[in-house]
Amino acid sequence: MSFSRWGIARHSVQLLVIALLGSPLAGKSFFQGTLAAGDLFGLPLADPLAALQVLLASGVAVPGFVVSAAGVTLLYFLLGSRTFCGWICPVYLLTELGDRLRRRIGSGERTLPLATKQALLLLTLVATAATGLPYFETISPIGLVSRAVAFGSWLGLLALGGMLVIEIILARRVWCRSLCPLGGFYTLVGRYAPLRIGFIKEKCTACGACTKACPVEEVLEPCLVAGAAAVYAGDCTRCCDCIAVCQEKALRTSYSFSR
Amino acid sequence: MGSKSQDIVSRRQFLQSGAVAPLAAVLAVGMISIPFMRLAEAGGFMLRPPGALDEKRFLGACVKCGKCAQACPYKAIKMAGPSYGASLGTPYIIAREEPCQLCPELPCAKACPSGALDKGLDDIEKVRMGTAIIVDRENCLSIRGLRCEVCYRNCPLLDKAITIEARHNERTGSHTIMEPVVHRDKCVGCGICEKSCVREQAVIVVQKSPLLQKDSYEF
Repeated sequence: MSFSRWGIARHSVQLLVIALLGSPLAGKSFFQGTLAAGDLFGLPLADPLAALQVLLASGVAVPGFVVSAAGVTLLYFLLGSRTFCGWICPVYLLTELGDRLRRRIGSGERTLPLATKQALLLLTLVATAATGLPYFETISPIGLVSRAVAFGSWLGLLALGGMLVIEIILARRVWCRSLCPLGGFYTLVGRYAPLRIGFIKEKCTACGACTKACPVEEVLEPCLVAGAAAVYAGDCTRCCDCIAVCQEKALRTSYSFSR
Repeated sequence: MGSKSQDIVSRRQFLQSGAVAPLAAVLAVGMISIPFMRLAEAGGFMLRPPGALDEKRFLGACVKCGKCAQACPYKAIKMAGPSYGASLGTPYIIAREEPCQLCPELPCAKACPSGALDKGLDDIEKVRMGTAIIVDRENCLSIRGLRCEVCYRNCPLLDKAITIEARHNERTGSHTIMEPVVHRDKCVGCGICEKSCVREQAVIVVQKSPLLQKDSYEF
């Protein structure tokens, strides 16, 4: 675990999400449902990709559901889009911990291209429309973990465990980096999202600590090399690990609608 | 913009890049999970919560959020495990364990965000989750000539969904058989009869509602 300010803030939010998911088991109704659709203190929230799948698979369109999915998309757009991945999603937290183990034992460094998840997003939507089944919602590890916490259905965690083994031994962070269709969705939404990691070129000594800390370092390097003012890629999960490790304080958060 | 030809990876570059192993792992996982993804109906009828759309559209609309299961005051709604194939994570009821108690305000249907359960349903008696059917006539105590009728007396739509029809007991010659008869246009499929059946294996079970009969000619 990183003990910087950013690390503590982010891990606290991730743990808070897990606590909220499990709160009905403790008899509290702060949160109902899962990350696919839920009520946070009575406010209905909906996963935008789940809403898209329901529309494509069944043609059923409940106005409240569509509105809350659109609202969630707008909210994440304003807050950095893939911030969902870096700060909310419990699978990201589990794969992060798996990655620390992987670094400890020094195993697999293979990677898949980041754009694969956008391709899988398209494939999910096509498969959903063709089969009449919300394809991603059925197999999603995010759903498996959410239901394991909220309902104690631990059997789905076996699939997650298998995925972690593959990530630790073979391919670093392959789910979050390259396979998750929801990550692909937020990547596309986040191309123009205003909350970004800002870069102060004058302070940078090119030590490379940030690229070592970053889970999607392919998007960090080109921006830094080109001397851009911020990381413009939708793949950035706004995890702020780069900000935490930079000794020269050359990285910070920035909020701007202009590129 | 860089030259297009540099974006296209040669076969040798792809094989050497180390992308093959994770791709192969993903393919293997996909192939192993295909038997689990068999159509839900291959596993048989699942008793859905009240207000559910027809099974095909229900599977398309359910996002597996579990809000209906959390809303049920009797904890009758369960979330399906991986053995249910493509129905993984969807809500269902096991009538023999905890049947639907037909709450008049339908908290489960009200909780469903995506429309898989019809929020507009307001009359619990209009629900059609399934139909109760006596599947084992030889072991039904009433049909054998004893005076059981427990399913009839527990049915929440008393004397409407199940009625008792009397007939002469031909075997003894001097008794009446009081047979429970289910009326499919009234039975909501709650499963209270299945739970209350006194036999070790329920002889009356909720199954998929039979298709409507059509007259062979229209007036």
